[in-house]
Amino acid sequence: MSHTTRVPHRRPAPDHSGAAGAAPAAPPPARRRPSSQQWAAWAFLTPVTLYLVLFYAYPLYRNIDLSLRNYTVRSFVQGDAPFTGLQNYRTVFDDPTFAPALLHTVVFTAVCLVFQYAIGLALAVFFNQHFRLSATLRALFLVPWLLPLIVSASTWSWMLNSDSGIVNAVLHAVGVDPVNWLTSPSWSLISVIIANIWIGVPFNLVVLYSGLQSIPAGLYEAAALDGAGPWRRFWSITFPLLRPVSAITLLLGLVYTLKVFDIIWIMTKGGPAESSTTFATWSYQLGFGNLLPAFGPGAAVGNLLVVAALVFGLVYARVQRKQALS
Amino acid sequence: MNSFSRGRRLTAAALTALAVATSATACGSGSTGTGTKAADDGTYTIWDPYPQFAKGSAWVKLLDACGAKAGVKIKRTGFDTSDLANKTLLAAQQDNSPDLLIVDNPVVSTLAEAGVLTTTDENKLDTSKVDPNLLAAGQVGGKTYGTPIGANTLALYYNKKVLKEAGVDVASVKDWPSLTAALAKVEKAGKKGITFSAIGTEEGSFQFLPWFWGSGAKLTELDSPAAVSALSLWKGWLDKGYAPNSVLNNTQTTSWQEFATGDYAFAENGTWQLAGAKKAGFDYGVLPVPASGGGNAAAPTGGEFVTVPVQSDTGRYTTTQKLTTCLTSTQNLYDTDTTLSYVAPTTEIQDKQVAADPELKPWVEAVRSAKGRTSDDLGTKYPKISEQMWKAVQSALSGSKSPKDALTAAQSAVK
Amino acid sequence: MSRSGKRTWGKTTVGVLLTGIMLFPVYWMLNVSLTRDQDMRKSPPDLFPVHATLSGYRTVLEEQLPYLGTSLVIGLGTVALTVVLSAPAGYALAKLRPRGGGVLGFVLLAAQMIPGIIMAMGFYAIYLQLGMLQSVPGLIVADSTLAVPFAVLIFTAFMSGIPGELLQAAKTDGAGPWRTFRSIVLPMSRNAVVTVSLFAFLWSWSDFIFASTLVNGGAHEPITLGIYHYIGNNNQEWNAIMATAVVASLPATVILVLAQRYVAAGVTAGAVKD
Repeated sequence: MSHTTRVPHRRPAPDHSGAAGAAPAAPPPARRRPSSQQWAAWAFLTPVTLYLVLFYAYPLYRNIDLSLRNYTVRSFVQGDAPFTGLQNYRTVFDDPTFAPALLHTVVFTAVCLVFQYAIGLALAVFFNQHFRLSATLRALFLVPWLLPLIVSASTWSWMLNSDSGIVNAVLHAVGVDPVNWLTSPSWSLISVIIANIWIGVPFNLVVLYSGLQSIPAGLYEAAALDGAGPWRRFWSITFPLLRPVSAITLLLGLVYTLKVFDIIWIMTKGGPAESSTTFATWSYQLGFGNLLPAFGPGAAVGNLLVVAALVFGLVYARVQRKQALS
Repeated sequence: MNSFSRGRRLTAAALTALAVATSATACGSGSTGTGTKAADDGTYTIWDPYPQFAKGSAWVKLLDACGAKAGVKIKRTGFDTSDLANKTLLAAQQDNSPDLLIVDNPVVSTLAEAGVLTTTDENKLDTSKVDPNLLAAGQVGGKTYGTPIGANTLALYYNKKVLKEAGVDVASVKDWPSLTAALAKVEKAGKKGITFSAIGTEEGSFQFLPWFWGSGAKLTELDSPAAVSALSLWKGWLDKGYAPNSVLNNTQTTSWQEFATGDYAFAENGTWQLAGAKKAGFDYGVLPVPASGGGNAAAPTGGEFVTVPVQSDTGRYTTTQKLTTCLTSTQNLYDTDTTLSYVAPTTEIQDKQVAADPELKPWVEAVRSAKGRTSDDLGTKYPKISEQMWKAVQSALSGSKSPKDALTAAQSAVK
Repeated sequence: MSRSGKRTWGKTTVGVLLTGIMLFPVYWMLNVSLTRDQDMRKSPPDLFPVHATLSGYRTVLEEQLPYLGTSLVIGLGTVALTVVLSAPAGYALAKLRPRGGGVLGFVLLAAQMIPGIIMAMGFYAIYLQLGMLQSVPGLIVADSTLAVPFAVLIFTAFMSGIPGELLQAAKTDGAGPWRTFRSIVLPMSRNAVVTVSLFAFLWSWSDFIFASTLVNGGAHEPITLGIYHYIGNNNQEWNAIMATAVVASLPATVILVLAQRYVAAGVTAGAVKD
């Protein structure tokens, strides 16, 4: 079967800035655009713009409002919470949970991203060699993705159970002492990272695999003729040509990983002793994980996450633009 | 570059403006009540935390029957219990509360504090027959905000076969030292001691409370020597291997599954597991959680309250009152509590339950000596205390702090 | 081919092995779905369901089929809505160079960063006012927010790969932007449409947070909520939960296997010109 049937005629440079992220497509100021085209463009964009405003802006506005007022359950219902400016943010910064949560968020995100990407890429390269069953096996790799998170996370917490989990049973069989995967403060973060990597690999595999598909086979043949071994070929052709795909994969991965909540919550509830608390679980814990919700600080932590993701988005946009210019 | 940032600012401003407009209209239409129910179309909404009961179940049929009796249609929604409090707060914010709300008892005081619930003076619920210790969970500042639909609590299930093989006479288990001694014997006999749930949620606090109260500690003083002794008891069991490490992550369900393997001598669990216990396929018994120096510890009450949220259309209360009267009638309470595997809130029905099923006897006794978590007028202070308590339990059991340090930290965080 | 036949089989073996490792948790789920209640926490656990029980599956087949139907409807609705909203947007961003397009692109990126629970609470407040709670169309709109930003991204990337000369030619022939879009751009973007559809379908299929916030207790609930009904207040029927998960992932797997060659082609084409 041919995967590349429809890969379009590719166009070199000019459209560069509109690349994947579409992010910063700062239009070259020199070019003047006819205004009828402007009208048409915005006519095409109107539905999605309205949609964005309606369905994204309102929740976000609510959340910002929550974080700037001193909400108690009573004022939440009556709607008369006093405006307190950045007080909630100060509370959050001063909380003893802040530093560990920040550290865990960074470690969780970075480690997950690196491993998901590396494993995804290795598998993509592997499956890119056409062998018997390669297409079927590749499709099977996507199965973890289809499972509702509540199920995959629960399955992992069963497998990692200290006493009746299969992982410790296997370790025992090969003579290694059992590990308290989910109940020891030094292992809980590692456990949720492992589970999250498992869940994230399929996405990386799909996107990177399709990126590989677009690299012309001729390049490899030429390199092979020049006597480059597989390792050289990977570093001098695959990796550089895959850079744009890699960038968007990593960015999306980052955005999704920062938000990860269900897996950690189901597996460890952020514990024990906050050893696997990230900003996402902390925000939930504050806002919903307690009989008496602390809406304000919860929303503040949530907003910090959005800001963090935005910063990375900007960095990405910057890098993209630089690449486009060079 | 310039146009980029200017454009962004403009867009941001536009977004904010629109968002404000949206929320303003949202608030505006709220007061006119255009939401899920119109002024009085003869439909009454009921929310409950029993998603496991689908249409056609006895519970839903009962609700419909009560509606028919009052001459109205019932729109019932079953929510996940952890969601219900938030949903209720949001609905109240939009002035769109359900007419009748059945909610987990420790949440009642929070909702009352938020001004979401009517008092029994306003909604005319008859609470005269209800056991006072159960009703206390729904009382804040001298006012009552609902009536229990049923109650449950915790006790120790034990596996008769395991105890027999280990040579333990269950009658000897009277206080903490004798319980620990029994666990040691079980451990020596190659079986496992006890399982419970010490998870980092309200469930963990719920399970720790019998031991906490059994030591003589008070929720207002988390770091008292008595409290430290309770946490040290649990910690000691884990250290000696009498309790599995997995308790840190156990919900009450997973803890029950461990007990159901038949390897464990004891399990701390609730009334609702009775049905499961009969299925487990081994002989079991039930004894109250012992207090530190003998006698029974007070266990916390579980179970839900029937409450009537505030409505802007006060005319609805008359019909709602008919519904609550129907739901809490003797026969209906009896049926409901049998379905839920709960103990009824009034002595009259409790006696009826024991007459029908003698196995319920220890549970009825446990419920009678049980104590509401938000009682002692703790009200909305309880959630904060509870959160610090489960955190302390987790810190101590996982070894990141000593029981004393963990509880000291908890107490200072509550203040 | 024959020369490398041996090597291919070697790779197939490695491939099967890797897939086996990757799918072990899925196998474990299957194993649990067949396990009796009292064996759930056995230590050490049984590698195979020795005392297999089909009670989980019996429950599921009796109770869960309507949920699967609802999920299918919601999935397809989400796909339709997502494509309708994002394909024109992608075209405009890629080819018409609107003023402020870059900002919009960035806003789209940012939109994906709002945590799901915040979105869900916002929707809940809106729907409560509109009386749209527990409605299938409402859930479709909510689920589409999972996919729309990603879809616009993919469409933009893909469509900027369409040669400008082609569009210019259409313009010279007197075709307006709408006709150009319908008769040239859209047909050429078939693979992108398939990719976007697939992602949109999968995300709506596995969505739990919107479903539980917005349609819980309604007449039509998706399969993820079906699973949740086995997680009661104090009790969880794990073999039924896992059995539902197994049953729920079957149709999705079939669709995935059928569509995966398009995915490959689609994402490539677009995400990633380069």
